[in-house]
Amino acid sequence: MSPTLPFDLAAGWLEEHVVIPVLYALGLMNWEEVALGWSLFAVYGAAQVVLTYAVCLPLERWRPVERWPDKKAVTVDILYTLISRVGLLPLITFVLFYRIQVFMTGWLTDNGWVPPMLERFVPFLLGKPALTFFVYVVILDFSEYWRHRLSHVFNWWYALHSLHHAQRQMTFWSDDRNHLLDDTIGFIWFMAVGLAIGIPPMQFPLLVLLLRFIESLSHANTRLRFGWFGERLLVSPRFHRAHHGLMAAGIASVNFGAVLPWWDMLFRTADFSHGYVPTGDPTAEEALATGSYAAQQFAGLRRMVRTVTG
Amino acid sequence: MSFPFRYFPVLTLLVALAVGAAGSPAAHAHGLALVMNSGEASLSIVDMDTHREVRRIPVLREPHHWALTPDRRGLLVGDTAGNVLFDLDPTTFALRRQVSVADPYQLGFSPDGKFLTVNGNGRNQVDIYDGATLKLVKRFPLARTPSHLDYAPDGSHVYVSLQDTDRLVSIDLRTLTVQWDEKVGRVPAGVLWLNGRVLVALMNDEGFAVVDPATGHVERRVHTAAGAHQLFLSPDRKILWVNNRVAGTTVALDAATLAEIRSYRVSGGPDDIAFAPDGKLWITQRFVRTVAVLDPATGQIETIEVGRQPHGIFLNPNADAATLSASN
Repeated sequence: MSPTLPFDLAAGWLEEHVVIPVLYALGLMNWEEVALGWSLFAVYGAAQVVLTYAVCLPLERWRPVERWPDKKAVTVDILYTLISRVGLLPLITFVLFYRIQVFMTGWLTDNGWVPPMLERFVPFLLGKPALTFFVYVVILDFSEYWRHRLSHVFNWWYALHSLHHAQRQMTFWSDDRNHLLDDTIGFIWFMAVGLAIGIPPMQFPLLVLLLRFIESLSHANTRLRFGWFGERLLVSPRFHRAHHGLMAAGIASVNFGAVLPWWDMLFRTADFSHGYVPTGDPTAEEALATGSYAAQQFAGLRRMVRTVTG
Repeated sequence: MSFPFRYFPVLTLLVALAVGAAGSPAAHAHGLALVMNSGEASLSIVDMDTHREVRRIPVLREPHHWALTPDRRGLLVGDTAGNVLFDLDPTTFALRRQVSVADPYQLGFSPDGKFLTVNGNGRNQVDIYDGATLKLVKRFPLARTPSHLDYAPDGSHVYVSLQDTDRLVSIDLRTLTVQWDEKVGRVPAGVLWLNGRVLVALMNDEGFAVVDPATGHVERRVHTAAGAHQLFLSPDRKILWVNNRVAGTTVALDAATLAEIRSYRVSGGPDDIAFAPDGKLWITQRFVRTVAVLDPATGQIETIEVGRQPHGIFLNPNADAATLSASN
């Protein structure tokens, strides 16, 4: 049995019994194909949330780095996660990316060019989805490292990104806590690289699920390290906590890698020496840390405008 | 005295099914089925005898539909996001060649083999290729989302549904111009020429429209069930089969009178149909990763697990698992 079968069947059920009847009732059946893509995103997104919750919550309770009298600030992060992984955001990004990809690659084909696609450049990869995915991950993680690092270099960009760093109660829910403009830049960045290497949006859903799990786990409030070798193989909660440390906000930060710490090691931004430091951004206004979703978004925008206008 | 005539379509179907069943003593038809898994960049080869997937062939991105070349030596499978037509041997499914084509979604050769029409669903274009050389003859930018197509029997016209704008367009292949472009109903999908009329399945309605091929005027609508998506004519041209995506049914109609004969429950997003020599229908189920093998005589369904979002399906009763190419 295919390991993706339960997820695909759940997405199919959602499509057949919920989405399609709603689209039909609203006269929107022309969105049916897109909706099928969203159903897959939603199911895999929900599975990401469930898996992360099932693994990270016990870890956070078992060996927490910090204990807080209340966790009100975490509630907003849960909202960020649901919007980012199950809601509209994946639908918009999927539709946009897919449509742009179809137009661009079709245009290239029309003009006698071979659209960029990893499996065309390296035919050996055809029929080896795990290996193909691994190569895609390495390339995308490399590009993510530089996007993330640059977001700490440019002040206007960090003004947006500081929303992510302002959280003093960092938990596994904090991974998706981002300013919408920061997310938009991230999407454009991903799209440019994704188009250049011809990444298929939904060909490896189970593996994407595992990657997103690693990213969530790296934000968990738990004393967990992967050992000397493991820390150099995958980004651990301890490794990523150093990136979120109070003293590491802004340009001084370290450990920018999302999944692989290799780029930090290669470009000398890795720091394996820290213990479990407190997190947050002392330069961020309080609304960025503990405000509502809207308040955080507004505060991030305000900080960016102030940075730009001096 | 209308009583006997009222049941004529039912009797026709039952007789046809009985003849079909008598002619096929084996439990299953022999041969191989090729299923296009649009959601995971692969083709499933299924043994029609054992109902088991025997091999999965990787493609680039999104295989949706197929067309047999006029000489029947090539099976073209369109990979939309991969921008390529895979030309396969229809018996061994070995790759013969790849042809770069922008966004090949639905495709089909004209009855005279002169043209290949390719609908670029994502790029809002209908491309007419030379049927022999596969060189682009003319592109028609058509808004929006060209979906399905069929030809007039003399190959003079091709009819294409434009899903997002509720229209059906007629392209005159003799002059390579648009003859008409008319609204036909909500979210048109499957297109079929039948008895001098063009039938168009309506996804946001409960059946299909019967269209005058000369003017594009909708003469009448025929009820099947909610979300009519695809239309297929049985090999003996007596039964019209309609898959209804929302209702989750496959409906058999008398091809001459368009009267409903029987409705079958086929859940999981029924999409394309292929007809096996034993009279059974092989129906792709987009949402549940399976192909349903429907026995119209009994209404029984067997399902076969394939890849994600199976869409197009091609059957070759003369193919055999033992003759599969070692290279695919």
